[in-house]
Amino acid sequence: MLNQEYPKFEKGSFEGIEISLSEPNVKINLRGKKKEFFTKIGKILSIILPIEPNTSSSNQQYNTLWLSPDEWLVYFNGEDRQLFNNLFNEISKLNFGSVVDVSNQWICINIKGNKTFDLLSSGSPFNYESFKKTKNSVTQTLLNHTDVIIHHKEINEINLFVRRSFSEDLWLWIKDSARFI
Amino acid sequence: MFLINCPYCGERDQSEFSCGGEAHIIRPKQPTELSDDQWAEYLFMRKNIKGVQFERWNHAHGCRKWFNMVRDTKNDKIHAVYKMGEKPPVE
Repeated sequence: MLNQEYPKFEKGSFEGIEISLSEPNVKINLRGKKKEFFTKIGKILSIILPIEPNTSSSNQQYNTLWLSPDEWLVYFNGEDRQLFNNLFNEISKLNFGSVVDVSNQWICINIKGNKTFDLLSSGSPFNYESFKKTKNSVTQTLLNHTDVIIHHKEINEINLFVRRSFSEDLWLWIKDSARFI
Repeated sequence: MFLINCPYCGERDQSEFSCGGEAHIIRPKQPTELSDDQWAEYLFMRKNIKGVQFERWNHAHGCRKWFNMVRDTKNDKIHAVYKMGEKPPVE
């Protein structure tokens, strides 16, 4: 049976870096190209999905991240699954696109501090130079050979999404690396 | 190590991509009419050029989209990158 408990990560505080688990979060994967898909999303979320690569859009409640030209990740704090049900009934059931609840598939780790990007650069092939200057930018890349989605939420603060099965390994790597930055 | 300009995400390190082999191989319209040799030719036989080659690539650790690339296998110089379905920009 699926283990729905979140991993128990203790907060880590290092010089210039703070790491914490940012859960529970609801995460919903959206895929679609049809006009009706965008209309329904706009109505339900009151947000326009970002169509520019590597960007995100947010309102007071929801964050939407660009993943590819026809794929987005929506996430928000809490455990309310009502939004998923609305999206599923209005989009998936009517074949306008695909809505998948990936809340248990991804773990959100919050990293903040002025050495955040030094930490990321130490284990990633991605060039963070322009990324770190642009608030609300998004990237999917590798961190310590693990697939991650990084949302640059505020300056020097990111939300990092990692697959649940890799989360413990990456968490340990982050804590270990943070000691040497 | 070299940089690849993903047509969707922009410039990324090669380690984020995986190569899907030769591009522009057309599937036979009537596979049942082919001999075993012709079918094997379509399925398995690929060019392995030392020089400019047309390849399919996948941004496996990014947007997960497939695209085409014209790459010189001698020095990994990338001549062009274009989306699936688009015509090759160079012959």
